Amino acid sequence: MTVDELRAKAAERRQTCDQIKKMIVSRLDLEIEPGWITDDQPLFGRGLELDSLDVLELYVAIEAEFGVALYDSEMAVFGSVSRLADEVDPALRAGR
Amino acid sequence: MVNVLAATHPEGTVHGEVGDTTVPLRFSDSPEALSEEYKALRERAAALDLGGHGLIEITGPDAIAFAQRVLARDVEYLTSDRCMMSLVLDAGGSIVDQVIAFGREDGILLESSCGAGTRLLEHLRAENDEGVEITDRADLTLIGLEGPYAWGVVGRLIDGELASLPFESVAEAVWDGVDIVFARTGFTGEYGYQMIVPRQEAARLWELCLEHARPSGQEALELAMLEVRQPMPRHEASPGASVIEIGANWLVDITKETFVGREAVLEAFESGTGRATIGFTCVTGVPTPGTRLMAGEQVIGEVVHAVHSVGLGATLGLARVDRDLAAAGLDLSVGGVGATTLTSPYIVPKSWSVPII
Repeated sequence: MTVDELRAKAAERRQTCDQIKKMIVSRLDLEIEPGWITDDQPLFGRGLELDSLDVLELYVAIEAEFGVALYDSEMAVFGSVSRLADEVDPALRAGR
Repeated sequence: MVNVLAATHPEGTVHGEVGDTTVPLRFSDSPEALSEEYKALRERAAALDLGGHGLIEITGPDAIAFAQRVLARDVEYLTSDRCMMSLVLDAGGSIVDQVIAFGREDGILLESSCGAGTRLLEHLRAENDEGVEITDRADLTLIGLEGPYAWGVVGRLIDGELASLPFESVAEAVWDGVDIVFARTGFTGEYGYQMIVPRQEAARLWELCLEHARPSGQEALELAMLEVRQPMPRHEASPGASVIEIGANWLVDITKETFVGREAVLEAFESGTGRATIGFTCVTGVPTPGTRLMAGEQVIGEVVHAVHSVGLGATLGLARVDRDLAAAGLDLSVGGVGATTLTSPYIVPKSWSVPII
């Protein structure tokens, strides 16, 4: 891949990650800017400190926004924004 | 700093210097030591000699105001039954240390990262405009337990109810007749607990731990931290790197109105420039820090830290790359071999699917 093709591929993931961050901030009424959340930081417990109620809220939000039902998924899908992006847009999944 | 547990470590323990302290890197000189100690952390329960972490107490009428100013996260209402992880920054926004702050009745207790106690103490004393009392609590030390079944060890050793405390809870407890501060916290994403114990009792309590858990050294601990993208300032806070470039935003509460380093961090965030950190794996070898990452013929960044990951069975590293290429799933090269950027966590902790019973 050329550098430009790599940039385009990175931009696709960034777009999904940005959409997820906005959804999290909006649904959970957080006071931070969405961009303050990094793609790789932990979300559950450490990091964004989501609890089980927050996760339930996000299940609903993800289904509404991305049409993906994660209800039966393992907690690993909330490992990071980038990991969530892999789940809501499987085309991004690579390199694991 | 003299490691209080060094005399208890078995013959063959490999020690190493980390900052101001000497720590056990591996508890055996066997080639399998790292792998075995890592597996204890990820699959069972590991005892951690955290004696290299400094403990610094801040007391006095303005202790909380001082802590609120020098810590990057909000500790104003950190009660004595809670702890939290935070960065400590200098005025330029560079990382001085990553600490665990324990709320105490008469102030706050800070746990430095490994080997950073002296540096943290000097920084706090230099920042002490409030006239608070800053005490090096060298009379105390730390023992850790981490792993998917560490809760069972806590139950056998101390009290089963403590094991199921919510994350970042703190309690006063008695362990085999010794008053301790018990906290549910850790570094690896697994169930984690820390016990703050009197230094003179540490060796005896450590031996009790070893009846139920295998000791894991600094190398296994740092590997497990890297795998869940737990920031490690000693590897990642290279000179001039901002919190934003390191990706440690979550250890900073930017909504807090004032704290040392806030302006610099905010400026770095709002500028939208600089590099960003991304995990990677590569086909062979472990590249040294500074090795260039290439996209085709173009240099796009450099390695910050890399090791062989037992869990992945492959190289795992962090690289700081051009911001528009800091994304998972890209095929690059490092040191002439193929590399792929990764989504964190790079290893999913077993504890996420093991309930406490």
